[in-house]
Amino acid sequence: MNSASPQFVSSRRMSVFDPIHQISMWGEGFKSNGNLSASMPLIDEADMKLDSQSEDASHGILGAPNKYDQEANKPTDKIQRRLAQNREAARKSRLRKKAYVQQLESSRLKLMQLEQELERARQQGMYIGGGLDSNHLGFAGSVNSGITTFEMEYGHWVNEQNRQITELRTALNAHIGDIELRILVDVMMNHYAEIFRMKSAAAKADVFYVMSGMWKTTAERFFLWIGGFRPSELLKVLGPLIEPLTDQQRLDIYNLGQSCQQAEDALSQGMDKLRQTLADSVAAGQLMEGTYIPQMTSAMENLEVLVSFVNQADHLRQETLQQMSRTLTIRQAARCLLALGEYFQRLRALSSLWSNRPREPA
Amino acid sequence: MHQALPGSPSTAGGSGGIMFKMVSENPVIVIGTRGCCMCHVVQKLLQGLGVNPPVYEVDEGDQSDVAQELSRKIVGGGDDGGVQFPAVFVGGKYLGGLEKVMAKHISGELVPILKDAGALWL
Repeated sequence: MNSASPQFVSSRRMSVFDPIHQISMWGEGFKSNGNLSASMPLIDEADMKLDSQSEDASHGILGAPNKYDQEANKPTDKIQRRLAQNREAARKSRLRKKAYVQQLESSRLKLMQLEQELERARQQGMYIGGGLDSNHLGFAGSVNSGITTFEMEYGHWVNEQNRQITELRTALNAHIGDIELRILVDVMMNHYAEIFRMKSAAAKADVFYVMSGMWKTTAERFFLWIGGFRPSELLKVLGPLIEPLTDQQRLDIYNLGQSCQQAEDALSQGMDKLRQTLADSVAAGQLMEGTYIPQMTSAMENLEVLVSFVNQADHLRQETLQQMSRTLTIRQAARCLLALGEYFQRLRALSSLWSNRPREPA
Repeated sequence: MHQALPGSPSTAGGSGGIMFKMVSENPVIVIGTRGCCMCHVVQKLLQGLGVNPPVYEVDEGDQSDVAQELSRKIVGGGDDGGVQFPAVFVGGKYLGGLEKVMAKHISGELVPILKDAGALWL
């Protein structure tokens, strides 16, 4: 309780007679309401010696100070005061440093999280400024201006698509007339034509990029067939959504689906042949030195054909859409396009949900 | 039925006659570049419909000469951009390249055309 060391006696006494001064010396360090004993935990070990006597101050019952004592204490008071101020300054400095380090740690965590999100977004095919990660090899964003342009235009295309879908939905719900509806349908059909044109240009810039559907979200890519959706699959999905149909329409759509399937199969078989030819030309001459480069030339020529495949597949998609619109009334066509647009919106939303799903902490 | 026939060594000049003969004699025939994958696609498409057309293969280097010959003598010059390889001829007439053939199939016109030319029954 009582510190036996004589050097603290005067301080103790001082603290009894000048509690307010004592409190102000410790300053903002006190988190309590000025109760000296309660402030004990804030003071670290270096200060323990002096601090322990503060405890006594609140408990101690001392007599009136001797006038002599007060005068004799003055020079020591100053020194003690200065020492205490230094300690306080040091303590504040330590606290500031601690706060700064904590801030650094949490910023570091945040940075790691952001980098992870970025990586995920990249994998989903979104264009992120290529300069952020120079170690990321082989991604179109860093070198190919044709692809950079495509990705930027695709972003605009999707926004415009969403706008058109909303407009179409509103129009159908408002039961607008056929003439106005036709305009909206034509606008949307032209918009699809636009994406196919964009893809064709992108295929010339980097056919593998288009073939792999790199600009699409993950769920969309799951359904990928030669750089896009498979028309026959889409018809199966959309068919029930555009009922009611006449029997003739149902038959026409069924036949359309069959034709799509046949055309798709033919293209798929062509792709198989291309893969075989490519594999052969890459493998050829492996056991013989000096013949490596000529084989690469023929392999390169094979790859040029991929552009044709992308174009033919997109052409098939386009033709299917147009044949659908020929089979349907304008109102049905509008419902069909709305269903189609919403379907892809949902696929994209699914991709987002999936990539943002809460995961078990590592 | 016919299988794929090898093109003769010299094309436009010597085998030109054979080629035109085959076009006029066969209800359906595909003329394409040797080893071309797109030619394979057209062939598979037609086979899938029940037609097994002969495929007349042209050497890569002779492509443009053959295309010109075909353009002049069969297509009649009034075509949109000349003959595309692979070229499909139905009933002695130039139908089109792969794109045209697929478009016609999607629109439902291909099967009737093939039937009319006697390439398909039923």
